[in-house]
Order: sequence, then C-alpha cells, then structure tokens
Amino acid sequence: MLLYSIKRLFAGIVTVWFIATATFIAMHQVPGDPLMNDKAVVPEIRKNLQQKYGLDKSTTEQYFIFMGNMLKGDFGISFTQQNRQVNDIIRDHFPVSAALGLLAIFFAALGGILFGALTALYRNRLPDIIIMFLVILGISVPSFVFAALGQLLIVNLNSFMGQSIIPVAGWGSFSHMIMPALVLGLGSMALLTRLMRSSMLEVINEEYIKTAKAKGLSPLRIFYRHQLRNAILPVITVLGPQIAAITTGGFVVELVFAIPGLGRYFVQAVQQLDYTVIMGTTVFYGAFLVLMVILVDIVYGFIDPRVRIN
Amino acid sequence: MQPAILQVKNLHVEFATYGGIVQAVRGVNFDIHQGETLAIVGESGCGKSVSVQAIMGLIPIPPGNITQGAALLNGKNILGLPSREANKFRGVEIAMIFQDPMTSLNPTMTIGNQISETLMVHRGLTHKQALKKAIQLLDQTHIPEAAKRARQYPFEFSGGMLQRAMIAQSLACNPTILIADEPTTALDVTIQAQILALMKELQRTENMSIILITHDLAVVAKMADRVAVMYAGKIVETGKVNDIFYRSSHPYTLGLKNAMPSNQQQKKKQLTPIEGSPPDLFSPPPGCGYFSRCPYSMRICESKPPPDNIVNTTSNQQASCWLQHADAPRIDALNQTSQSDAD
Repeated sequence: MLLYSIKRLFAGIVTVWFIATATFIAMHQVPGDPLMNDKAVVPEIRKNLQQKYGLDKSTTEQYFIFMGNMLKGDFGISFTQQNRQVNDIIRDHFPVSAALGLLAIFFAALGGILFGALTALYRNRLPDIIIMFLVILGISVPSFVFAALGQLLIVNLNSFMGQSIIPVAGWGSFSHMIMPALVLGLGSMALLTRLMRSSMLEVINEEYIKTAKAKGLSPLRIFYRHQLRNAILPVITVLGPQIAAITTGGFVVELVFAIPGLGRYFVQAVQQLDYTVIMGTTVFYGAFLVLMVILVDIVYGFIDPRVRIN
Repeated sequence: MQPAILQVKNLHVEFATYGGIVQAVRGVNFDIHQGETLAIVGESGCGKSVSVQAIMGLIPIPPGNITQGAALLNGKNILGLPSREANKFRGVEIAMIFQDPMTSLNPTMTIGNQISETLMVHRGLTHKQALKKAIQLLDQTHIPEAAKRARQYPFEFSGGMLQRAMIAQSLACNPTILIADEPTTALDVTIQAQILALMKELQRTENMSIILITHDLAVVAKMADRVAVMYAGKIVETGKVNDIFYRSSHPYTLGLKNAMPSNQQQKKKQLTPIEGSPPDLFSPPPGCGYFSRCPYSMRICESKPPPDNIVNTTSNQQASCWLQHADAPRIDALNQTSQSDAD
C-alpha cells in the first residue's frame, strides 16, 4: 500500500512537470506578450521592461529560469497586478474556491449517491421518472442559468420572509456558500446520479445479491450491506476528476455570485497573457487535480479489497 | 414412512418477456423426506432452477409470476410469501448454494463476515460470537487455516475453496434442507468429486435433506437417493435412483441415458443424441412436451397431456407417459406397467 502510494506520487510529479512544460510552450506560442497594452509604449520603455522581467532572454533560457524558480516554489510577480506575488494570489483566493468546491462536491456526491440509489430502487416508477428528468436538466442546462435562477429563488425567499435570511451574493459566511455550492455541484450531481443508478442496477442482478436473499437477509440489509458498497465503486472513480473540475471550473458561478475565488484570476490572466499568473495557476490546478486523483485511488483501495493487494 | 418435510404441488411459474409469456414451469410436483437426496435432472431451460428459486422466493416478480401451486414446508405453505415472512425459513430451514461460487459471494466483504452475517441476523449472535462460529463452519468444510481464511476476501480463494465457503455459509443455521443448484458445474472434475464428498459427509452428520439440481447423470448416480427427471417445465419421471437408471419408464429418460458416455470398453456403442430441440415454451404443445422428439410417439401424445402413471407401487416410481397406459404397445427398452397391473 505504501509502495503503491509512493509510485502514484512519483507519477504525479512527472505529470505536473509535463503540464508545466506544455503550458509554457503553448503560452509562448500565443502572439503578443504581457507588455502589449492598449496604450502605445515607447520602444525604450518597452525594452527596459523586457529587461526587467527577463523577457529579452531566449525562450529556452526563460524556461529554465522558470523551472528553477518553480522548484523553489516561487512563481514570480504578476505582470498586470501591481506588486502582487502569484503565490499571494493563490494563497488569498484558492481557499475560497476550495471551500466552495468541497461543499459543492459534498452536495454532488451525497445527492448523486442518494438519488441514484433511489432511482434504482424505484426503477421505471414515478420517483425514477421524475429524478431522471431532472438529471437530464441538470446535465444540459449551463451553470450560469442555474446561478441566476438560484439568486432569483433567494430573492423571492428573502422577500417572502420579510428579511434577508440568505445573502444573494458575496462571500464571508457559511450562508453565502450554500446556494453557489448547490449550483456548482448540480451538474456533477446529475452525472453521479446517472452513474450510481446504472451501477446499482448492475449490482442488483449479481449472483451474490441472490445469495444474500437466499440467506434470508432483509431487503434493507441487502441494500446497505451488499448493494451500496459495490455500486459505489465506479462513482468513487469519477469523483477525483469531478472534485478537480468543480474547484477549478467554478469561475462562472464565482462571477455570478461575486465570490473572490481563484477562477476569475485564472481567466483574466489568460486574457491578458499574464505569463506568471497563467503558469502559477495552471501548475497549481494541475498539481491539485493530480493530488485528487491519487487521493481517490487510495480511498478506492480502502473500499475495494481487490485493488488493495495488487 | 414419515411425512415429507417439503411437498411441492402443481407449481406453475411464468415470465413476462418482450416476446410474450414464457411458461417456464408447468405443474411440478415433488416431495422430499428427512435425510434423503433428491436430484432434479434435465437439460438447460427445462425449469429446474426456476422451480427451486420459486420455492425460495428468489424469482423477481415481475417479470416472473407464480400462477399456481403450493410448497408445503412441514405442512405450511411457503410459496409466494412476502420477504419478511420468507426470511423466517430462508437461510434457516432451507439454505441454498449456487452454480458459480466465484460470483455468488460478495467481493467486497470478508468470507468470515459473510458467514457470520447469517448467524447475526437469524440467531441474534454478536459479531464476535458469529465470527467464531463462522470459523468453526469453515473448519467443518475442511478449509485449512480457517481463522486466517475467514479474514480473507473471495478473490483470495480458489473456486473449490469458495464453494466450500458457500457450503459453510449455508450450514450456519443448521438447515433441514439444502438446495444445491448445479453446485459443481463451474468446478473442474477433481474438485467436483471433493465437493460432492463433502456434501455427502455433511448430510450424514447434520441429517440434512438435499435437493440437487444438475444435468450431469454421473453426479446423480453418485449422490441421489431419488431422482426427478424434468422436461419442458414438467417432471416426466420420478423414482429411486436405480429405477431411473436401470428401469427407465419414460422415453426421455431413456434418451438421456443413451446419450451418456460410458467407460465400459466392451460396450463399443455409439452415443445416440436426442434429435430435435425442446418445445417453445411461449406456446407449449397441448399434449406431451416430448412428443416431437419421442421415437415412440403415438397419436394421443400430440393432443392430450399424459397422466402421472405409477409404474412401481413399492418404490413409488412414476412416469407421465401414455406408453404406461394399459393399451399402449410394449417397448423392450422401456420399463412398463404390465397389462394386468394397469387395470
């Protein structure tokens, strides 16, 4: 188990290096540089700036400088935000995205497993039909629509109660998080529901369920002792990428709810070709994704004994 | 003779499919006594598994449907009970083991926990007590290092060992009847012999009755006291094992025997297969199910279902075949009631 984890970790480091290199190359292929501006810059000033930021050096040289700094954990200073370290940006804004993302994935996993199991139990009956209809909605409607609808719902609730119970937007307390997390997790919840449903239906036809019945176990016991654990395995597998997708892909929802998450800076940086911020956030997100996948693999080992041994 | 502990009467099971309704079991009768082994034989799709699964309440309803019949366990009908009621006998009075031990155990639960689960549910033991008993049971089925094995998962066992574990699990609550649904089909021949020997041994020590479902006549010869031969959803012949093998009284039994290889060198005869295929159970024939394949078929066989004829009163051999009628022609290979007996 330890050896397995170390192996996975090593593979993860290689992956992160690969992500960093690929991003670096792609970024430098885009025409223009961070010093391009709406306002015309005098060639001398431009030259001085290039020298200051090391942009006059060859791309290869820049690559090695960047990699060297990255190993020290230093991503440099933002080009567009005055005097702001990339590390500071990540440190200030990632916890916001992470908190939101984790709550969202909690909603998604809980809802997905619960509704998936429910639809399987009531297969082809009314609860199944209703939930599966909602699932299609959840998968196909984009998150900003849900975000707007969610805000509308909060406004109506607040005006109905005559006082502000849940804030419509902003950041600061747990009540700020509930609606954006729900909206953010909705797509994943729908996906996980479908997965859980098909997985449950597969398990219900397994021979060992028949054995459990023949042993005289109650349907409830068969459900939670035999069916659930086996059905949950494929759901756990996709949970890793889903966690990463939610925490990194939340910028639309963050924007609508005016949440100071990292996603906004990531998108802004790409638009402005802010080299250091692009590299910093991409490598950070990449490392985060890899870590989540490894974490899920290890959790998987705890649930499925067959993975643990090999 | 003491009364039968399980009597199955006129069992009918149907399945609703896209193609229509399949009449999988069409009136099955059998009974089983304390300590005996009843083998139910027949080819694939003849309804042998469906019959016992219907008794155990393992048929999913829908698409399945038990349209008629009764199964009396010590005089009380257990057919079609709701699961709460059925769980009072399932795993307690009647236990069951299945064809493929590799898929019949939960892959994410230790063997010990799977066995002790039955004891905790039915006997109210604590986990610790149940696990101790589980290890005893594994020991009883000759699994070496039972204590260590109890902590392992099914994928760490071989096929034969898994079937032993399945048997250990079925014995947990000392059932009076063990239903074994093709218990050795998925195992290789040497392991097969060991499992059968184990079942026989446990039957003696526990005084259990065994209902053995198989399509392997060699297994029948080794294990059974009595045999029920099934064809197209009906039992066509029942009798003591020697009657079935040496005094077959139904053409289908005869056909099965002729299609079985023997290892006696001097009898260098060719195997004769049964020509044709079983009838379509979407619309079963009105008469005898074996009519279209029977070499001795008569006109009456096509239109009227044959009655159950008692061929031998002392050993209670029965055959549902018109050839057992007093007016039927004599066939040398077949054990028939004599003319005077039939009157």
